[in-house]
Amino acid sequence: MTKHFSVLSGVTGVVVLMAAIPLLFVIYSSFQLSAERWAGLWNTRLPELLANTVWLGFVVAVGSLVLGLSSAWLIARRKFAGRILAIWLMVLPLAIPTYVFAYIYTSLLADDGWLGLIWAALFGDGVAIPDIYTGWGAAFILSLAGFSYVFLLARTALLESSPSMEEAARMQGATPFEVFWRVQLPLLRPALAAALAVVVLHVLSDFGAVSMLRFQTFTLSIYTQMEGRMDNQAAAALSLVLVMMSLTFLVLERFFRHRQRYFSSGRSRKFEAREATMRELVMIWGCIGTIALFAFILPLVWVVHWSWHSWHAGLIGAEFWGYTQNSLLLGFIAATVTVVVGLPVALYHTRIRSWLSVSFLHLSSIGFVLPGPVVALGVITFILTQLPLLYGGLAVLMMALVVRFLPLAVQSQEAALQQLTPSIEQAGRVLGAGPLENLWRVTLPMIRGGMVTAWVLVFIDVLKELPATLILRPIGYDTLPVRIWIEASEEMLELAAPAALMLILGTLPALWIMMRAERRR
Amino acid sequence: MKVFKKLGVVLLGVMMAMPVVQAADELVVYSGRSDKFVKPVIKQFTAETGIKVLLHSAKSTALLNKLRVEGERTQADLYLSNDAGNLQLGSEMGLFQPLPQEIVAVIDTKLRAPDNSWVGLSARARVLVANTTADTAFLNSVFDLADPRLKGKIAITHSGNGSFIAGTTVYMLAAGKEKTTEWLKGVKENAEGQTFNKHSKVVTAVASGKKAVGLVNHYYIYRHLDKKPNAPIKIIVPDQGEGGMGVAWNVAGVAVSKYTKKRDAAVKLVAFLVSEKGQQLFAEINREYPARKGIAAAAVIPPAESIKASSVEMAALGKYRGATIDLLEAVGMP
Repeated sequence: MTKHFSVLSGVTGVVVLMAAIPLLFVIYSSFQLSAERWAGLWNTRLPELLANTVWLGFVVAVGSLVLGLSSAWLIARRKFAGRILAIWLMVLPLAIPTYVFAYIYTSLLADDGWLGLIWAALFGDGVAIPDIYTGWGAAFILSLAGFSYVFLLARTALLESSPSMEEAARMQGATPFEVFWRVQLPLLRPALAAALAVVVLHVLSDFGAVSMLRFQTFTLSIYTQMEGRMDNQAAAALSLVLVMMSLTFLVLERFFRHRQRYFSSGRSRKFEAREATMRELVMIWGCIGTIALFAFILPLVWVVHWSWHSWHAGLIGAEFWGYTQNSLLLGFIAATVTVVVGLPVALYHTRIRSWLSVSFLHLSSIGFVLPGPVVALGVITFILTQLPLLYGGLAVLMMALVVRFLPLAVQSQEAALQQLTPSIEQAGRVLGAGPLENLWRVTLPMIRGGMVTAWVLVFIDVLKELPATLILRPIGYDTLPVRIWIEASEEMLELAAPAALMLILGTLPALWIMMRAERRR
Repeated sequence: MKVFKKLGVVLLGVMMAMPVVQAADELVVYSGRSDKFVKPVIKQFTAETGIKVLLHSAKSTALLNKLRVEGERTQADLYLSNDAGNLQLGSEMGLFQPLPQEIVAVIDTKLRAPDNSWVGLSARARVLVANTTADTAFLNSVFDLADPRLKGKIAITHSGNGSFIAGTTVYMLAAGKEKTTEWLKGVKENAEGQTFNKHSKVVTAVASGKKAVGLVNHYYIYRHLDKKPNAPIKIIVPDQGEGGMGVAWNVAGVAVSKYTKKRDAAVKLVAFLVSEKGQQLFAEINREYPARKGIAAAAVIPPAESIKASSVEMAALGKYRGATIDLLEAVGMP
């Protein structure tokens, strides 16, 4: 092992140690739980929670895959009128937090909600409106909120895959379906695996939708332990099981992914999308339009409608801009720090395949699967006992956010790093660049797209983050999600909607930056 | 790589310009009650005393957890909660300090902590809301919600709701564990798996006639009537009369942090909240019952004197919350 690798491993170690603080807290607290209470948990709660959580993760993964892959394929492989609009419509659902999604759909599907009224008009009073307070309801909401990750990564991979392989298959007489199944899909596998990992991790850590819809998953049950019973030990014990489960999932995902690596040669020929025929055009827009209607347009119209109400009622005051500013500032700082901190972890794992680098990688993902309040509690405990001087400002919240969203930054940057042909860097070394210079002048510019994507993904998630922010924000530092939560918990629709609208608007520039970076590639 | 350098400079600037949000002379209140209901009272307090107050809102229980973890490092001077259970739990964890007897004496002893470490400010009653066209003549106790005649006709919130838990605690202590268990089973049967995640939706379901009767805090009924004055709903105050256990109460209240550095100002705020004017403001806005005797409640709600309240002490809501949740989970309440 050369010297610069050991420096890298040192830096990575420090980052991972920080990311593992909540885990250490969880392990420590759950060791304080007596054996009988463990047994009690095991007998009463765990089987159902395990079943529900796994089921939800699976269904949402399938749902997101179907929605995301189909839309990505249609948009990447055909030219048609309104293609840019279609891309945006598939990405914009990322701007809506799951709790807002769930909130909107519960009111849309109420007896006097828009969908409820349409349903009654179509089917009469006799047929009950579909009940959203079920596992299927939660899966529906989470698929709408998550498929964009699949879309983004699948589309990038489709654009970057070299057409020569598909053409070769075609010349050998493969049908379009065979090409898709035997050439494109295997090539897409790393991207799909990465996207599904993000989706499933979101599901495992989601609190917004499941709490609104009362679907008993680990996260919801952990909340009940903490909030209802003030029982942090039981919460920690459940969190530990959740972490084990997520790690198993991640290891499986890695296993499937790392069996194959594909290098795309630096600058290959770009794919020429074919012009869509009239029939295809109708079909494409029918498909994209339906997805967009439920995933973005309907929620947006609802939010605008209620914002308009509160604007008229004079409920939007100056402090409202303060919340927006707080949110944006928080997102900006946290995203930047997370991307910088995530880089060494991604770099280390790309360069060196050892049990150490793999463990580092998995340990860095833990913040993401732990429920927000547990991360918050772990970080707060650590800071109060080890670095009490930092307490009271933004530092605690910042640390929790970095810990929570580190895996997003690591995943995206690592995906970009993996596509780099090693020969490019080797060329740099041969030409006499030191490791740092090589990193700065060769590697970073090459993976800029991946870094921007990482930044934007983290930014958006920070903007939407609720549970940790609610607990750790400095006194009086209210952000948009905090306001949405405060108003929605008192059932003040009119007041929650404008904050949700601002949240959607606030993510637009970030999404725009990401899309622009993609187009340049 | 100019981008990165620029980004670094901007970031550094932002970090340094980070506003110090909290001014030194402000009282910090960890508040688990809706801003909308607290702000007018606080505004009046600041106008009268010149003491500024910063509301830090979140879930009552989350804030209590935070207080516990922070210990002596907390920035909170006061803790405000909608649930007596939380206040009592905090008191038992030693997070609060006793309030001067002469200040809290105006509040009924049943509505404050035995050691005066917290004091109730406003009370809400757990009542039934009934559709006026439904046949509900036989309804005069919450236990009637388990009556088979009401199968598919009752509206309740899910059992994770704080008010539902507090109410069940009262029934468990007043009527016994066995009777409450049977009752929960019956209610579960009658609810047919459907629960509502908001009290307002319970009232809406009853008003629309989809359900005949619902279990809510009294003020939700009047909130609905504000928007739809002709809604066919009425309040039934349950368990009254000879032999009835009385209606379940819960109070919103306030406590002063043990570690506050601004005790005098904090106590001043409490004194204001229990003063005649403060009580009027605090309770009226959400149409709750002022905790202080002799202050009239909003005219639309049944007068406090006409209601028989359960004899269960508010402090018990904290002590027995865990037991109640155990019970709810044993029955498998949705």
